[in-house]
Amino acid sequence: MRFVIIALLLVFAFFGAAFAALNAGTIHYDFLVATLDLPKGVSLLAAIILGWLLGGLSAWAGRGWRMRDAGRRRDGRDQA
Amino acid sequence: MNPLVLLFLLLPVAFLSGWWTARRLGARHSVARVDELSSSYFRGLNYLLNEQPDKAIEEFLKLAEANRDTIETHLALGNLFRRRGEVDRAIRVHQHLIARPTLNDEFKTMALLELGEDYMRAGLLDRAETLFADLVVMNAQAPSALRHLIAICQHERDWHKAILYSRRLEEASGESQALQIAHFYSELAERAQAHGASQEAEEHLGHALSAFPGFVRVHMLRGRFAAAKGNYDAAIAAYEQALEADIDYVPEILPALLDAYARAQQLDRAERVLGQMVKRYEGISPVLALARIYARRDGRQRAVEFLGAQLRQRPSVRGLVQLMDTAIEDDAGAESNLPMLRDLTAALLEGQALYRCTQCGFGARAHHWQCPSCKSWSSLRPVHGAAGA
Repeated sequence: MRFVIIALLLVFAFFGAAFAALNAGTIHYDFLVATLDLPKGVSLLAAIILGWLLGGLSAWAGRGWRMRDAGRRRDGRDQA
Repeated sequence: MNPLVLLFLLLPVAFLSGWWTARRLGARHSVARVDELSSSYFRGLNYLLNEQPDKAIEEFLKLAEANRDTIETHLALGNLFRRRGEVDRAIRVHQHLIARPTLNDEFKTMALLELGEDYMRAGLLDRAETLFADLVVMNAQAPSALRHLIAICQHERDWHKAILYSRRLEEASGESQALQIAHFYSELAERAQAHGASQEAEEHLGHALSAFPGFVRVHMLRGRFAAAKGNYDAAIAAYEQALEADIDYVPEILPALLDAYARAQQLDRAERVLGQMVKRYEGISPVLALARIYARRDGRQRAVEFLGAQLRQRPSVRGLVQLMDTAIEDDAGAESNLPMLRDLTAALLEGQALYRCTQCGFGARAHHWQCPSCKSWSSLRPVHGAAGA
C-alpha cells in the first residue's frame, strides 16, 4: 500500500513539474490595492491548497457546531 | 471547451478531499478517546470484581478527570469511597455533584440520596434526616428516602415517627409494612408499660394487632404484662394464644408460660398443652419441660423413659445433658464419670447460636425481635437440630 502511494505521489509530482514547465508564463492579479504576478503552476497549486484547507475547515467547524448543539440539547434536558 | 477550464474542477475536488480528510481525522480521534475511556471503565470494573477497591478508585478517578460530565462515574466513586470508609471524600464528591447547575432532577435526587447515606455512615443522623425528609417532600426517590428515615427513627427509638414513615412507605411503594408497624407499636407498648401506663400500653398493643392480626409479640407482651400484675390466668391465656399464633417461638414463650402454670397451680393444663406442643414443635424445649413435670410428679424413672424415647426420635444435645443430669441424681454418691461427661457435653453447647436470622444468617444466643446485624424484624428464628432448643 505504501509503495502504491509513493508511486502515485511521484506520478503527480512528475505531471506537476511538467505542467509548471509547459506553463511557464505568469498570471497577473489585480487586488485593487495591490497587484501580484504569479507563475501559472504556483497559482494553480495555491488554489488547490486553499480549496483543501477550506474543505477541512468547514468539516471541523461542522463537527464543532454539532457537538455544541448536542451539548445544548443535553443541558436543556438536564434543566427540564 | 477550453481544457484549462477543466482545471477549475480541481478546486471542488480539493475542497471535498480536505473536508473528507478532516472528517476522518476527527472520527479517528473520537474512537481513540472512547476506546481509552472504555478500557479505563472496564479496568475499574475488573478491579471492583476482584475486590481491589483502591485500584478501582484510581481508574474511576482517571475517568472522572478525563470527562467531568460523567455523573455515573462520580456516583460510583462516591459509593466506593463510602464503602471504604472514606466518608469525607464521599461527601465531597456528592456535594460537588449536587452543586452542578446543569444536573437534571433525576441525578440530583440520586446524588442527594447518596449524600444522605454518607451522612448516615458518618453518624450525622440529623443532617441525613433533614436531607431524606426533603427528598420525601419533593416526592423524589421517596421509597428509598423513607426506608432511610425509618432506619434513623429506629436508631433513635422514635417509634411514633417510624410508624408515620412506614405508613407513607406503604403508600409510596405499595409494599406492606404491617409487621414492622406492629413491632413499632409493641415497642411503644413496652415503653408505656415501663412507665406504668398500662392503659396506654394496651392501646398500643391493640393498634399492633389491628396492623398485623395474630401478631405473636402482642400476645407475649400481654402475657408478660398480666403476669407482672399477678393475673396468671390471663397470662396463661395470652401465652397460649402466642403459641397458637407462631409455634416457632416456643423456646421464648415456654419459661414464662411454665412459671405462670406453676403460680396458677395448673400443672395438669401445663401437661396437656405441652403434650400437644411436643407433637407440633420439632425442637426439644417442650420435651424437656414435660420430662421435668414427669420427674416431679411420677418420679425420675418415668422422666428418663419419656426423655429416652423422645431423644431417639429427635436427637438433641440439650436432651442428652438433661438425661445425664437425671442419671447423676440417681447415682448420687457413686463413683462415676457421668459428671465429667455431662460437663463436656454442656461445654459443646457453649457458644452455639440458639437463634439464627433467616435474612442474613446472624447467630445469637438470646432472642431479639430485630436482627442486630441486618435490622430486619421477626427474622431471628430458633435453631432446630441436635444443638437447637
